[in-house]
Amino acid sequence: MSVLEIDGLRTFIKQRAGVVRAVDGVSFAIEPGETIGLVGESGCGKTMTGLSIMGLLPNRGFIADGAIRFGGADLATVNEAAMRKVRGNEIGIVFQDPMTSLNPTMTIGHQIAEVVSEHRGVSKAAAMARAEEVLALVGMPRPAERLEYYPHQLSGGLRQRVMIGIALACEPRLLIADEPTTALDVTIQDQILALLDELKQRLGMAVLLITHDMGVIAGRADRVLVMYAGKIVEQAVTGQLFHRARHPYTGALLASIPRLDQPVKQRLYAIPGVPPDLANPPAGCRFAPRCRFATDECTGSEPALGGPDPAHPYACFHPIGPGSALTPAEVTEGHDRPGGSGAPSDLLALDHIVKEFPVTRGGLLRRAVGTVKAVSDVTLTIRRGETLGLVGESGCGKTTIGRMIVALERPTSGRVLFEGQDVGGLSGAPLRQVRKDLQIMFQDPYASLDPRMRVGSILREPLQIQGLGSAAEQRARIADLLREVGLSPRSSALYPHEFSGGQRQRIGLARALALSPKIIVADEPVSALDVSIRSQILNLMRRLQAAHGLTYVVISHDLSVIRYLADQVGVMYLGKIVEVGSRTDVYERPAHPYTLGLLNTIPVPDPEVERAKQGVAVAGEIPSAMDPPSGCRFRTRCPLARDICAAEEPVLRSFGGEHQAACHFPLQTPAGESDVSGVPVR
Amino acid sequence: MIGFIIRRIGQAVIVIAGVTVIVFILRHLLPGSIARAIIGLRATPGQVAAFNRENGLDRPLPLQYVTFLNQLLHGNLGYSFKQNMSVDAIVVHDLPNDLLLVGVSLVLALLIAIPVGIWQAVRRNKLVDYAATGISFVLYSMPAYLLGLLLIAFFAVNLRVLPAEAPQQPTIGGVLSDPAGLVLPVATLTLITVALFSRYMRSSAIDSLTQDYMRTARAKGLRQTTILYRHLLRNSLIPIATLVGISMPGILTFGLIVEQLFNFPGVGLAYFNAAVNGDYPVVFGVTVLVAVATVLGNLIADIAYALLDPRVRYD
Amino acid sequence: MTDITAGARPGTPEGGEAIRQDAGWRMILRAFTENKLALTGLILVVAVALFCFVGPLFWHTNQVNTNILLVNERPSAKHPLGTDDLGYDVLGRLMAGGRSSLEVGLAVALVATAIGVLYGVISGFFGGLADTVLMRLVDIILAIPVVYLFIDLATEFKPTLLLLIAVLSLLSWLGPARLVRGETLSLRVREYVEAVRTMGGRSGRIIVRHLVPNTVGTIVVNATFQVADAISILAVLSYFGFSLPPPTATWGGMLENGVNFLYDGYWWEIYPATLMIVLTVVAFNFIGDGLRDSLDVRLQGR
Repeated sequence: MSVLEIDGLRTFIKQRAGVVRAVDGVSFAIEPGETIGLVGESGCGKTMTGLSIMGLLPNRGFIADGAIRFGGADLATVNEAAMRKVRGNEIGIVFQDPMTSLNPTMTIGHQIAEVVSEHRGVSKAAAMARAEEVLALVGMPRPAERLEYYPHQLSGGLRQRVMIGIALACEPRLLIADEPTTALDVTIQDQILALLDELKQRLGMAVLLITHDMGVIAGRADRVLVMYAGKIVEQAVTGQLFHRARHPYTGALLASIPRLDQPVKQRLYAIPGVPPDLANPPAGCRFAPRCRFATDECTGSEPALGGPDPAHPYACFHPIGPGSALTPAEVTEGHDRPGGSGAPSDLLALDHIVKEFPVTRGGLLRRAVGTVKAVSDVTLTIRRGETLGLVGESGCGKTTIGRMIVALERPTSGRVLFEGQDVGGLSGAPLRQVRKDLQIMFQDPYASLDPRMRVGSILREPLQIQGLGSAAEQRARIADLLREVGLSPRSSALYPHEFSGGQRQRIGLARALALSPKIIVADEPVSALDVSIRSQILNLMRRLQAAHGLTYVVISHDLSVIRYLADQVGVMYLGKIVEVGSRTDVYERPAHPYTLGLLNTIPVPDPEVERAKQGVAVAGEIPSAMDPPSGCRFRTRCPLARDICAAEEPVLRSFGGEHQAACHFPLQTPAGESDVSGVPVR
Repeated sequence: MIGFIIRRIGQAVIVIAGVTVIVFILRHLLPGSIARAIIGLRATPGQVAAFNRENGLDRPLPLQYVTFLNQLLHGNLGYSFKQNMSVDAIVVHDLPNDLLLVGVSLVLALLIAIPVGIWQAVRRNKLVDYAATGISFVLYSMPAYLLGLLLIAFFAVNLRVLPAEAPQQPTIGGVLSDPAGLVLPVATLTLITVALFSRYMRSSAIDSLTQDYMRTARAKGLRQTTILYRHLLRNSLIPIATLVGISMPGILTFGLIVEQLFNFPGVGLAYFNAAVNGDYPVVFGVTVLVAVATVLGNLIADIAYALLDPRVRYD
Repeated sequence: MTDITAGARPGTPEGGEAIRQDAGWRMILRAFTENKLALTGLILVVAVALFCFVGPLFWHTNQVNTNILLVNERPSAKHPLGTDDLGYDVLGRLMAGGRSSLEVGLAVALVATAIGVLYGVISGFFGGLADTVLMRLVDIILAIPVVYLFIDLATEFKPTLLLLIAVLSLLSWLGPARLVRGETLSLRVREYVEAVRTMGGRSGRIIVRHLVPNTVGTIVVNATFQVADAISILAVLSYFGFSLPPPTATWGGMLENGVNFLYDGYWWEIYPATLMIVLTVVAFNFIGDGLRDSLDVRLQGR
């Protein structure tokens, strides 16, 4: 008997513009003990499906049709009192952002005990005892002590453990996890997913895992449902879905994700266009406007879920199969950079850069209570026409370095040398001159464009500030820029809010290009975008680099994005470079345990690879940047750590060519040394 | 938290110092000299000069300020020639009545405004919400004395149920022994304060209601009342502390108006009478006092905020 | 090289077309007119303005010369709202009073907002010591019970129109200053502001072209409330005698007069002025509230 059975669910949301059909006819079942992955992009309806099950729809949302059968009742029609008995008791839910999802004015012990009291009717003491039990269950260090903590005193990963604890305290039969790890660092993400798996086994639950990340699905889900524009377009056992996808959307999605194991020159497939407006969904197949296989039949009538194999239904008139999938051969070769005539010269050098931010308390009586050591002695060189990728987790300092390169911050000590000149020491007119060559593309497409300015004015501003060209020349340049980034020149009359996230990133890129810079720093260029849009922007970046001979500094926490764009890669941890080298060096011959850990935590959209991974790649929490560990900063989480790691800080050693790493027990043999007996990591 | 409180105390001290400077300057900007104001317009230049010398008014200004400050620090708010008492004596006499009036009104206002605000947030955009908003708008838009006048007109003149004047007994015990006379003044000040609070209460409650942790509370299957009390209320109280602090000047001003209207024997009324009679030492003494009260009120509110919000308490 | 974007409709740029929506102003206007309270407020304000400024063209009364023969007359055909204790026709005086109240209210809102915005933007943008000092100054002025002082001043003299506006503005600029400072603090670190720096833009450009335009919403909402507050404070001050000298009419002044006759039952000298004050202040408050709501909506309608 299924734990949960959803039949023809339709959830709508009333808005000013009309009624949005967020979930439009979704049916599936969850069996005991299995993990169902519900995957899709933002707006596809996956979160709404989860909320519908729990009866937690937003104010203007309502279930228009369908049944949600659970435990012999239909949750879609049951009354509020009955629903309350189910919530937190038989079905638990974990939300995306643990900081805002926990009550800031209640201790975490209390927040867990509350669920227990409500549903089990036990005494306060008994409920608190159970809370402590639950904290231990979710792997919280020192649970008894932590009962009295408030959410703001814990890190993101620990808070998410608390959320999971709350959801599990009454041992529900079903756990809904809505993007449970999206807001967390990569290494923490890995820990939380492993925890969910372990708890599932232990408590015999079923799990509905909602996410946009195909890699997460590959590793953790038994069966997968792919949603697009409010409908399920394909459903299959995980292995089947990844290797024998039938729906073009699934195929396109898989082909558009940068992977750690694909050939570097291979270009990502970019799904053109944007998802449809669900207040006025298109008549036929909802994916047709973006589908390369679409015919008139597709735009005319809507395909139903079906197909030869009842265990692998899909909704498409022209399914892709092993023959028509987007094979690597079909995808064209990437744009090659113009061959360098002679060795590329050094364009930018970071010379022992240090950046520390004082942490002050006090209004009038400011006193420094500590410093955040954001960047601690980093030395790097970037060559003309190449791409440097800086990768690391929160607090590693990569964003700060990016900001120092474009002179938004001055280094506390050390020099940023651009074409031999120390940028950090410039100010006034000479600084303004140099700024032309150092531009940045920001992460957040919604905050990086002034909402009160038209696109044309936004793009004209750099030209105006630098006094380049007459009005007519500027106008022409703006039109050119827009065309180059794949937007119509008519866009210059519009406001940013009239564009989608991906389109705004294009505008941001156009603005960065306006002054014909030599270097563009791209700070998390695609993290805030939908999966199917990311490849558009990544391809655009590569294309522009080839066309203009740009030098990029790409900053990202996503190793696969870095791999797609970068020639040289720097891995950072808590303000230090732990490893640097060419792409092949770092990805194929990592020398530092942290690098290896990162590589192992990145979920790869390949079920076999994911299942083969055992254990957790990197344990523990990221230490505070105000008080980094002595010696090697990574030692608190490193499986290879010994005493010397605490006593002495390792220096960067060469591992051949430009490959360097800072570790006392590296995974490769340093240049000029005989074999090191390394301890296997996993 | 200690750091936060120390900082706030430091700020309060600076603000009070600034206030004394400004009041001091204002005192010396009086149309006509202080001497004339105090001993009368028909004083001869000789009398004025004598007065000035006696009271140290012929010394350089900065020195006078230091004396002024010194006096204040010793609790000396000045001496009223017209009433032949020190200002402190006048004020100390009336202060308990003020504390009664303002204190009771404040507490009542909070007891009314908070539940109403939460109720409005829970039932937002329904009829009750509009009605409550409408009423509080009208209350808020009335000039302060208007409400008092209307209440007097209705209850005292038409219905003759309550006296239009507050109890005039000299001691606080006496004042309390005539509760009927307290009803209208307290009611007026309470209603005005409720109107002042209700605007922010509603939006603050709505803000809290739409937070993610409210959704988590629902996801736990908690009962509606539990959710409201334990989760919404606690979080809504935090901005209220700040709100009370910011409203202090307004509340004290309205208090003055209410006292004048109902002849309530408080510091405000003493001030009003002094202003009408040109009794400047009282005028400035009370001004300083009220300013200090405002700053202290703010400070207490901020400390309450620090205690209520764990993010500040455990920093 | 195959165009990998085949599948999108031919002729469209790779990035896709923009999603056309109304320009900012029209959206706000629409949301505004959908908000019933705000619409009511707007209608009321227009009605009051017409009453005060256009009304006298149809209803001529003498608001300068007193007329002892006509004091305290009940409402009649000749004087629909009766006369007051100086013989002025109440209906006509309401119109005159409205003119001064609205003029003062609007003037104060404008001046106070202008000063406040400048002060707030500078304080918020430059931060540090300047910010601390400027904000302490605001705290100090806020702590002083200015209404108390005005009551005292009222016993000395009656102000001119200009002085009244100046004095009320000095009272009111603190609100917008704090508000704008707060907004500036949060806008200052927005990425689009940082982008201007990376282009070589200077502080002046950032303040004028980016910070102020993005606080306009809050400023306008606040200014609307300022008008309401100004009219209200004017009424309170008038009650204590600090208002324009006779024969200029103000609603508060009318009330101050009329209250003396509360026990005499001369209701027409009290309630009409009361009604006008409350109506006008409520109307502006409704508008301000409606604008604020629509601002929120727009911010959320990404």
